[in-house]
Amino acid sequence: MKRALRLLRAGGLSSLLALAGCIDTFEPDISTTPPAYLVVSGFINSKGSTTITLSRAISLGQAATVPAEQRAKVYVEDEQNTRYPLVEGEPGTYSSAALTLLPGRNYRLHLYTAAGREYTSDYTPVKSTPPVDSVAWATTTEGVQLSVSTHDDRSQTRYYRWQYEETWEFTSAFRSYIEYKGGGKFAPRTQDIYQCWQSEKSTAIKLGNSVRLSQDIIADYPLLSVPASSPKLRRKYSLLVKQQALTQEEYDYLDLLRKNTENIGSLYDPLPSQLTGNIHCVNSPEEVVIGFIGAHSVEEKRIFIRYDELPTTWRPSSGYEGCGFEPDTLLPDRISLLDAKPPLYIPLEPQVNGRQDTVSFTYFTIDCVDCRLRGTNIRPPFWR
Amino acid sequence: MKQLYRSAYLLFFLFTFSRAANAQQVATPTVDVTLKQVPLPAFIQELARQTTYSFFYNPADADSVVVTVAATQQPLDTVLRRALAPTRIRFAIDPERRVYLTKNQPIQTQLPFGASAAPLADATISAPSSTKLVGTGKPGAAGQSVLKRQEIGERGAPAATRLTLAGHVRNLASGEPVPGATVFVDALSVGTATDQFGYYSLTLPSGQHTLGIRGVGIKTAKRHVLLHSSGQLEIEVEEGVTSLREVVISAGKDRNVAGMQMGLERLDIRTMRQIPTAFGETDVLRVVLTLPGVKSVGEGSTGLNVRGGGTDQNLILFNDATVYNPSHLFGFFSAFNPDVIKSVELYKSAIPAKYGGRLSSVLDITTRDGNKKKFSGSGGIGLLTSRLSVEGPILKDKASFLVAGRSSYSDWLLQRIPNKGFRESSASFYDLNAHLSADVTPHNSVYATGYLSRDKFRLSADTVYQYQNLNASLKWKHIFSNNLYSVVTGAVSRYQYNITNTKNPVNAAQLAYDINQATLNADFSYFRSNKHTLEFGVNSSLYNIQPGSLRPVGPESLIKPEVLSREQGLESALYLADRYDITARLSLSVGLRYSLYYSLGPRTINQYQPGQPKTEGTVTDTLSYRAGQVAATYHGPEYRATLKYALTDRASVKASYNRTRQYIHMLSNTTAISPTDIWKLSDPNVRPQVGDQYALGYYRNLKNNTIESSVEVYYKSMRDFVDYKGGAVLLLNRHIETDIINAYGKAYGVEVMLKKTTGKLNGWVSYTYSRSLVRVNTGTPSQQINNGRYYPSNFDKPHDATLIGNYRFSHRFSTSLNITYSTGRPITLPLARYFTDGAMRVYYSERNAYRVPDYYRADFAMNIEGGHKAKKLAHSSWSIAVYNLTGRRNPYSVYYKVENGQIRGYKLSIFGSPIPSVTYNFKF
Repeated sequence: MKRALRLLRAGGLSSLLALAGCIDTFEPDISTTPPAYLVVSGFINSKGSTTITLSRAISLGQAATVPAEQRAKVYVEDEQNTRYPLVEGEPGTYSSAALTLLPGRNYRLHLYTAAGREYTSDYTPVKSTPPVDSVAWATTTEGVQLSVSTHDDRSQTRYYRWQYEETWEFTSAFRSYIEYKGGGKFAPRTQDIYQCWQSEKSTAIKLGNSVRLSQDIIADYPLLSVPASSPKLRRKYSLLVKQQALTQEEYDYLDLLRKNTENIGSLYDPLPSQLTGNIHCVNSPEEVVIGFIGAHSVEEKRIFIRYDELPTTWRPSSGYEGCGFEPDTLLPDRISLLDAKPPLYIPLEPQVNGRQDTVSFTYFTIDCVDCRLRGTNIRPPFWR
Repeated sequence: MKQLYRSAYLLFFLFTFSRAANAQQVATPTVDVTLKQVPLPAFIQELARQTTYSFFYNPADADSVVVTVAATQQPLDTVLRRALAPTRIRFAIDPERRVYLTKNQPIQTQLPFGASAAPLADATISAPSSTKLVGTGKPGAAGQSVLKRQEIGERGAPAATRLTLAGHVRNLASGEPVPGATVFVDALSVGTATDQFGYYSLTLPSGQHTLGIRGVGIKTAKRHVLLHSSGQLEIEVEEGVTSLREVVISAGKDRNVAGMQMGLERLDIRTMRQIPTAFGETDVLRVVLTLPGVKSVGEGSTGLNVRGGGTDQNLILFNDATVYNPSHLFGFFSAFNPDVIKSVELYKSAIPAKYGGRLSSVLDITTRDGNKKKFSGSGGIGLLTSRLSVEGPILKDKASFLVAGRSSYSDWLLQRIPNKGFRESSASFYDLNAHLSADVTPHNSVYATGYLSRDKFRLSADTVYQYQNLNASLKWKHIFSNNLYSVVTGAVSRYQYNITNTKNPVNAAQLAYDINQATLNADFSYFRSNKHTLEFGVNSSLYNIQPGSLRPVGPESLIKPEVLSREQGLESALYLADRYDITARLSLSVGLRYSLYYSLGPRTINQYQPGQPKTEGTVTDTLSYRAGQVAATYHGPEYRATLKYALTDRASVKASYNRTRQYIHMLSNTTAISPTDIWKLSDPNVRPQVGDQYALGYYRNLKNNTIESSVEVYYKSMRDFVDYKGGAVLLLNRHIETDIINAYGKAYGVEVMLKKTTGKLNGWVSYTYSRSLVRVNTGTPSQQINNGRYYPSNFDKPHDATLIGNYRFSHRFSTSLNITYSTGRPITLPLARYFTDGAMRVYYSERNAYRVPDYYRADFAMNIEGGHKAKKLAHSSWSIAVYNLTGRRNPYSVYYKVENGQIRGYKLSIFGSPIPSVTYNFKF
């Protein structure tokens, strides 16, 4: 009987595990090339400079980067025909001067492509964003959970969007004290390539609303979690949260976009749906234009997390685990290795004998020594 | 055996013979016989010619006997005594003018018939009593029933051409009724099928008749009756099988061709048990899915799509009570315990007029009545579930009970999985059934059923889903006369679910939904004559729905309680249907159902600008309705018609048309039935759905009715069925009508089926070609889907082929193989990528413009029976099955995710490997 029970348990377990299903990659066979839809991204900033990016859609299989839509004429305008022009900086990126738009007026984006086609977004009211109350973090068994809280006493906001930027300090695997000047000559290193900072912008669409609450409060909305083993937590980590107030229409659009691309894959998820933005081609109303342009301000808040604030048992990885622990020794007759262009190896420090003569150098591959390959060695102005 | 047939033949012969002699009508039988050295049969033939007496003898005994006799105007018995004195043959005469000739010993005619020594039994009853006439001999010995003649009515009643014979066909062993059995008189080409109570009624002329009884799971039987006046004949038949899991021996052989119904699939539990399932448990819905014209969007879902209809367009009845969620554990198990199910009938077209309220089909699931003769039980132990049922008589032959339960122990297993995600999850379910049936008097029977099923699962540590079906029904059958009986049914159904999330104390809340339905039906069957069978009645259902409520959980929760107001509706219908056999070959069944629906208060309902799409911006007024006040009325006729023309005995053509109306709609923007689907009643803003279906079929039986073949084509159109706008909010939406759109649908297809019902090798092969298309062309261009053109529905799978094959090696060992292929279902695919807000995004194609890869699956099962010793304490069997034999990863869904700024396509398969299972079943 006992054996039968054990058998039953094993059998049941395997059936249940089989139930977990399996996920494989899938490459659909779509041969027709899609039209290069115009993609408009950005928002009308009611307190500051408005930046709009124009590009074209590409097919799924296409590896190339998206083509920028250059030399367009772009304006922000209100219903009284007041125009604020945007100027192209980077190709396809158009920016205005710092503006303060009037609440109570409706604004829209108006643009002409270089090919002469005219596009407008729908007029939208200006939403002013309440300040971020706090960005909090807490440790869980998995890592650090970061969350945002805010509120609007006048209960005018209700719909929120957050974007964030993570920055963290890190070091490469080995510190280099000397610099190879070519022709067998070395000099003390002047530029630090050991300590760097890396930044990452959010790609996920983070939306929240307080529609079902009796007050316009967002309490500890979970933004992201950083695993305990992440190199981001090895020294010091910072998170900048940018908060935006949305109209219900823009919220719905972004929510659909989020559902379409982030939340699909479990058994009972809804089907992806067609997205209809608020930008139209004046010349041919049927043309598909991707994007939704809203008008609002942005509120920001930054926090820092030091390694010594984290549980002592945590051991974040360095991100340089593949580099080993001991540098190699470079004998003088092999010094030509350092001549490779682009450089493959970086000398670390000289090794001396008992008479203080340099007899060899320690060295290592550049990716384990030069932190600039992963970030920047320029200290961010906000870093403290 | 051979001899038996000869006796039978002779018997027939003599009967005819004596009837021919009736003309002479001798009051006191005297005979003139002068014969010398003639064989006994010749002597008897002469006597039979001169008298109205019937003679019975065994030809083997008579072979070598010769008689010599000379008599003039001598009484019959004197002549017989004299003539037979020198032989070993003795005779006996009974009051019914029958003469029995036997070897050595005369037959004792005074004894009650049926002693095992009396193969030539006989009986008399007086009308209209319905004394049971059978079951007196060795149970079910086929030869006995062939030889027995039952006399019904008072002798000497005037000859009539329209007498009725009615009664029940029951299982000899358990006393349970046998539905769907055919009772027929070949010589007159008269026949009928028993109804769900095993009841039949035939109109016959007075005289001698041979009744044939055939049906699913019973042995073919015959009864001889001599009908003097209308009366009742209770027939008990032997089960066609001897073991727990047996191959179906006979399955209403010529029903396919001769039956009136088209688009009807009837399955009994034996057929269903053979078909392999994922977790070894017989699954009613999964078997239904193997039938032509029935599809599902994929695994992990028992939502049925019948002939291109939606999953909400099927009326699922469990002993006449509506079931709203027919599945357990995300659809991996059906909610019905296989031990209590007797049969399942699926009407795909020509839906009888007594059924209504759903567009596409009726799935009628009936439970067994308990054993009326002795206590017994059955059960099974599987890898994830176990079940047990007990049944027995309350009053022998009068009343019985059946109780059954089933429970999962997946929870216990989940705790033991070395994976945190699983450990924090839980999934459990159970269901309970209770059924009582009682024959209060010969004319009144009462049936009561209760059913409860409950599911609870937790996906991660913080969200708990629970849902529950609760059904009860009470049925009273009253027989007014042989021609007319009524069934009054009261049923209540309740389905509810709730989802509790406690992760963040500020947002902790419980979402709840429930639907209640109370139904009262009065159905009458009137057998006017063999040419006309009338059915008529009244149905009425009252619905009460809580469309959703959100309540805070815990003191910290800031959730605003939100309770949507309840919805009420009353759906009533009157119907009348007549089955008219115009000629022996041509029959017509016509029915009219008129349904009437009231949307009832108390409720507040938005009014929208006429002609404008319904949005929050086009609300013109909000009206309040008092309790019981009618907010909207919808009504309309539902036509049902079927025509059958028999081309030959083996082939027929049938055509049908039916219209159906549906006043309750399921809202779900997922493609599978999930526990969070909500049902919505029609109201001033949501019109009822209306469907029309035309079907034509050709049926032909081959090889002595052992192979059935059929081809059916159909065309269907559906109006006002519900589709959604992109990203519709269905839960807690106070103006749900702004998120849904009325779609127009059409579906058509051809279904080909070849079925072998008997023999060691049996099963079926079916192929279906079908399309199911939807069009949404109302509202503004942005509300139209695919610019108002037809697009494939979510369950449009044009090609579909199924093979179900069973091979019985011996009585103890059989195997089954199930192979299914179908076109992949439509999906909306991403077409383009674009960059916005720091990430690549996808632009999707038109709705359902592409398809997932084709679906293919093979399953295999073995059934091993224990020994068949009659005295064994419990009969047991093992079934070992492998689901998805080839381990094919059939995609359930295809989806894309933006991960680290890249777009990746994935396909999710529910079963990625072969799934073995073992189940132990027992019966005591």
